[in-house]
Amino acid sequence: MSTTAAAALGPIRRARALGSWGHEGVVLALWLVELAVFAAIGHNFATAGNAFEILRTSTEVGLLALALTPVIVSGGIDLSVGSLMGLCAVLCGLLWRDAGLPIGVAAALALLAAGLAGALNALLVARLGLAPLIVTLGTYSLFRGLAKGLTAGVETYADFPAGFLFLGQGYLGGVVPVQLTVLAAAALGFGLLLHRTATGRSLQAIGFASEAARHAGVPVARTTATAYVFASLTAGLAAVLYVARVGQAKADAGTSYELMAITAVVLGGTSIFGGRGTVYGTVLGVLAIATLQNGLRLADLPVELTGILAGALLVGSIAVRRLFSGRSHS
Amino acid sequence: MKRLAAMVALATVALAGCGRKSQDGFTVAMMPKNKGNPYFVSCRKGAEEAAKELGVSLLWDGPTETDPAKQNEVVETWITRGVDVIAASVENRDGLATVLRKARAKGIKVVTWDADTAADARDVFVNQATPEGIAQTLTDRAASLLGGKGEFAIITASLTAANQNEWIKHIKARLAGKYPELTLATIRPSDDKQDQAFTEAQNILKVYPNVKLIMGISSPAVPGAAEAVKQADRRDVKVIGLALPNACKPYIHDGWIDSIVLWNTGDLGYLTVQVAHALGKGPLDPATFKAGRLGPVQVDGSQVVLGAPFVFDKGNVDQFDF
Amino acid sequence: MRSEARAREQALGAALAALLLLLAVAARGFFSAQNLRDLLLDNATVLIAAVGMTLVILAREIDISIGSQFAIAGVAAGTLYKLGLPMPAVVPVVLALGALLGALNGALVAWGLPSIVVTLATMAALREGLRLFTQGQDVLGLGAGFQWFGLGQQAGRAAIVAVAAAVFLAGAWALRSLAAGRAVYAVGSDAEAARLLGIPARRVVLSVFVLLGMLTALAGTLAAVRFPQVQTAAGMGLELEVIAAVVVGGTAVSGGRGSLVGTLLGVALLGTIGPALTFLRVSAFWEEALQGAIILAAVAGEGLRRVPAPLRVRRAVAS
Repeated sequence: MSTTAAAALGPIRRARALGSWGHEGVVLALWLVELAVFAAIGHNFATAGNAFEILRTSTEVGLLALALTPVIVSGGIDLSVGSLMGLCAVLCGLLWRDAGLPIGVAAALALLAAGLAGALNALLVARLGLAPLIVTLGTYSLFRGLAKGLTAGVETYADFPAGFLFLGQGYLGGVVPVQLTVLAAAALGFGLLLHRTATGRSLQAIGFASEAARHAGVPVARTTATAYVFASLTAGLAAVLYVARVGQAKADAGTSYELMAITAVVLGGTSIFGGRGTVYGTVLGVLAIATLQNGLRLADLPVELTGILAGALLVGSIAVRRLFSGRSHS
Repeated sequence: MKRLAAMVALATVALAGCGRKSQDGFTVAMMPKNKGNPYFVSCRKGAEEAAKELGVSLLWDGPTETDPAKQNEVVETWITRGVDVIAASVENRDGLATVLRKARAKGIKVVTWDADTAADARDVFVNQATPEGIAQTLTDRAASLLGGKGEFAIITASLTAANQNEWIKHIKARLAGKYPELTLATIRPSDDKQDQAFTEAQNILKVYPNVKLIMGISSPAVPGAAEAVKQADRRDVKVIGLALPNACKPYIHDGWIDSIVLWNTGDLGYLTVQVAHALGKGPLDPATFKAGRLGPVQVDGSQVVLGAPFVFDKGNVDQFDF
Repeated sequence: MRSEARAREQALGAALAALLLLLAVAARGFFSAQNLRDLLLDNATVLIAAVGMTLVILAREIDISIGSQFAIAGVAAGTLYKLGLPMPAVVPVVLALGALLGALNGALVAWGLPSIVVTLATMAALREGLRLFTQGQDVLGLGAGFQWFGLGQQAGRAAIVAVAAAVFLAGAWALRSLAAGRAVYAVGSDAEAARLLGIPARRVVLSVFVLLGMLTALAGTLAAVRFPQVQTAAGMGLELEVIAAVVVGGTAVSGGRGSLVGTLLGVALLGTIGPALTFLRVSAFWEEALQGAIILAAVAGEGLRRVPAPLRVRRAVAS
């Protein structure tokens, strides 16, 4: 199978030679500029403590962005991950407090539920061939709605055991935030998946030319399904970390995180039409946005500028890439 | 890559010229639950007035939608930045306690205002009204308008809003304890949107014809509901709730809104900055503490009390502008 | 292609009829003249934006920034009126502003940037820009001259519904009968082929975004004049509501297929579900989940009908 996938990748390799690392280079440059600017105008910006804080607070969005990278590379999209965080957070709290399960078991079951939710997306997108935008728009409402229904909107779960909260609030050796290890592991895992496995190559082939990939013998439905299930599982993991960080589980957890994650992925150089993108770029995209937000605050600038600047950077970065590669999408 | 390196170098040189802002002076960092909510917008005015009077620099920042995770993030950043006092309106008691404790451990004074956190996570709470007090005032007003019996409906913010759910809990308790013949027919969400509150109110009027009173417990919900009652010309239905006077004035004068309950939001912001400033200079002394133009205020243990909730109606609403 | 669209319209019509039948049995009050009028008025503004969105999706693009544009239009209308501009002058200015915002998106997209990324960026930037401009304050105290354009409640309501109907009819006629309408379909089906046929694809893309911008501004203004005050936070989530209506109405996100009749039915179905659940006294807490399930059912039904055959082929190739 991998040889046929490799055959289908011929055109991708050529496309890569054009852009090479240019796509990631744009966002890397951007991030370095941010670092330089904020080191100059921000209070206590360039400190180790602040670096870890930036990473810590971007863990959940970072996880979602990592998980969305393979989905978007395959030419799909998943708008439901933020809502799924709400559902999983609520399930985790519900199973722990109301069903009396140990918190570890509750979290594991919440992850299982996330897997099932992913299977629903996968079934509709990969098996029935429905447009992922519409499917996940539907599950976006469905998951959030279930979370609200289960808690009657009102219920908030809190007072979790200290050992669990350590996951989201503790520091290893007093310095490194605990959830950072999860984020790093996820970055490594998704990096290997997308760039070092047959599945990853297949995802790129599907995103580049789904029809060609099919003729080359790539199991399109199964591979696509894998990406959606992984995305949902990661959203479940993000929900658990969110609950541990904030110390409460409520139906509104993760609201609009999907947009932040998608912004980070695209800023990181992944083509929204699929076919190209790297986990390395996504990590840079997440860092660029988190640094912007943190830096503006430390420089006492209005944070409304984050939205405006993030928007400008997003358009600016794809415009630069378009100029460099000279390729139009339509 | 060379080109990129050159770009970075250029930008750094260009922007390094901007220089670092001076860090002397007293800095109060103040956080609302939701920057976009008109209620908090009106608190900010008073806070800025006090900051100007006292010559402190005021940072005003918070989530654009109520989100405890975002509140956490903002406080973390302020700890890193280094401020003298953090004043937070707390979306979720447990959600923010850990990080506020961390701030105190770093020597930053912590004031909570509008909504409190755990007592050991802050130095002082500037209290404008307790959830019970608000719920009781509203429920009693509803009961007296309806003659102690009948049906009413609530239009809340979002279904997950912590404050509103706390009020609803106390409203239900008050009903069970004191007004057994008063029924809460339905609770509908407005997501802090006036047009949604309007649509929900329209539906309530049609689906629950026995509802004779709509209680809006989010600032945009009250004028939204009043507009719906007005457009349906239902003179038999009254609107009350928690809202800002300016947005409700025309409806109060025309009799669609009977009354609204609130405190002076500008004063709340003003008092918070006054307290923050005093706290930065040393412990609060109940005997001598004076809050600027508000004069001496009641200090109750670690709570500073703004005063009881205020009822605005036709007779007094024009005296207020916020 | 034609018959497929018709089948979709019929399926939607049937779903809507079933819902109305259920209401006729379980909640008579739904059909009161007053409720029907409120429903019309409430959905008129959604329909206007949905007409524009249909054009954009037909041309194989998307715009998720319309919620922010909608808010800007409302606030601009209120602010201009407060500055002393008479309502007949406010409307064209706001429409021009809407066209400008649409042109900003459209120009970037026509130049070759992906529309979902461009409008994701403008969604955030416009919303935050508006927030920075108003500092979160609503526009208050607009009074009777602003509300209903100063026409009074009765005439104002009629005017809003009439404008929506006119926009819909004009759009449906233009799409079907004008060369420009056919060009939108052509560009959405295959931009390259359209270009070879001499259709200026880029100009078509720019035009549909400008039209959507104007229609969104119109919707924002009409929604604003129902009240004597305008909220800065208006229109949050409008993009999802409108896109869902268009897509449930049978317009394919892959472009080139769909109709405004379908969109009308989509707006009607989604616009009815919310109030219907209230009338059926379903708890508000489960409403969102039900809406999501209904959207999924609507699209999955189509998928089930369409897919089995290719799936079998696909499996055979894969193994």
